[in-house]
Amino acid sequence: MKYEEAVKRLEEIVSLIEESKLDIDHTTECLKEAQELIKFCRDKLYRTDQEIQSILAPQE
Amino acid sequence: MESVTLLELSKLIAGCISGSLPGTYWVQAEISSMNIAGAGGHCYLELVQKDPSGRRFLAKVKANVWASIWARLKVRFEQSTGQYLQVGMKVLLQVEVQYHEVYGLSLVVYDIDPTYTMGDMARRRREILAQLEADGVIGLNRELPMPMVPQRIAIVSSATAAGYGDFCNQLDGNPYGFRFTMQLFPALMQGDGTEASVIQALNAIARQCDRWDVVVIIRGGGSVSELSCFDSYMMAMNIANFPLPVITGIGHERDDTVCDVVAHTKVKTPTAAAELLLAKVLDSAQAMENLARRMAQALDNRMNVEKLRLQSLAQTIPSLFLLLKEKQEKKLDQIWGRMTWAVERMFTEQRHRLDMIGQKVESANPERILARGYSITVKDGHAVTSASALRKGDVITTRLADGTIESIIN
Repeated sequence: MKYEEAVKRLEEIVSLIEESKLDIDHTTECLKEAQELIKFCRDKLYRTDQEIQSILAPQE
Repeated sequence: MESVTLLELSKLIAGCISGSLPGTYWVQAEISSMNIAGAGGHCYLELVQKDPSGRRFLAKVKANVWASIWARLKVRFEQSTGQYLQVGMKVLLQVEVQYHEVYGLSLVVYDIDPTYTMGDMARRRREILAQLEADGVIGLNRELPMPMVPQRIAIVSSATAAGYGDFCNQLDGNPYGFRFTMQLFPALMQGDGTEASVIQALNAIARQCDRWDVVVIIRGGGSVSELSCFDSYMMAMNIANFPLPVITGIGHERDDTVCDVVAHTKVKTPTAAAELLLAKVLDSAQAMENLARRMAQALDNRMNVEKLRLQSLAQTIPSLFLLLKEKQEKKLDQIWGRMTWAVERMFTEQRHRLDMIGQKVESANPERILARGYSITVKDGHAVTSASALRKGDVITTRLADGTIESIIN
């Protein structure tokens, strides 16, 4: 999954909740998904940072 | 009849001549033949005067230079003119007219004025130069570009000439290790045949001139050298029009010959010619090395600049990314915040809704109405809501908060 896709999905979930279109039965499921998406995004940010550092590190 | 003997007549002639032509005369003449009787011997000349066309003799007289005079006169002439006295030269001689009973009329030479011969040679040289000038060829060979690396050299010289060996050794043994391709095109370098044989050698080179970069005409200088053969119109024309640059090194300290004047470059000796070519090749080699060094330096500089640029770019990337990362993290926080808030609100709404429904349900409960003193009238199991639905004698049930009573309508 791409970072942008993940964020887009997160926005969707938030609007669903904000516009009260989410039914109670699916709330837990949705929150779980949102939690996972946020973790995915944070990981991706962290990993990218690490990769950049290691790529730009002197080769010697 | 009176008669005289031949000897008597000859003595008369001799007496006439010595009587009417006493002392010495300075006479201008051209040498048409010349013989020297062995080493340290007498020199026998034939002097002529030609008509302006040069084909017909106007006068011709023998002349003798006795050995004692010849030894002194020869040296002085050669020192002054740089030339051997030779056939074809115009000379100014101090002579005494003599008539010998057996050998006839002759001139006895006492002295020579070398400046006259030099003047004549200079005049001839000037005439040839003027003709070449008029032909417009003097600068032709000089206008040819000298190759940057003159390594293929056609040599016009004599295999036995001292300068030829010097020239080859100088180039073959050069300390830089440059290779030269050399070939000798043999020619006479002195005497009557020089003009024709040099031109022949030049023609041979011209036929394969793409094999050569440059032509050198060289010969070593002796103590006295014959140079007049290089004051040749035909040779000069050939050199001037030659398709390759011609370098002359014909060994002389005095005035340039006509060939030197029309040559691309003129040096004094074969060794100097070799040095010239070597310096030219060395120049090119050094120029090339300089270029290589500059190129390496420029590349090095460029690489350094690029390295620095990359370095500074590389340094900015992490901090730029850090900004991006922070922004994204904030956004994720916001999303999570909005979500939890929205969920909370949703639950609050739902709870409120449930409360409202509870109240409504509560307020609709009939028990509460009965407790406040109201009652429900029921007939045949149905609630009675209109008095007209009841007749006399009907039995009704009245439901109160704490029980029921039955009544009959009357």
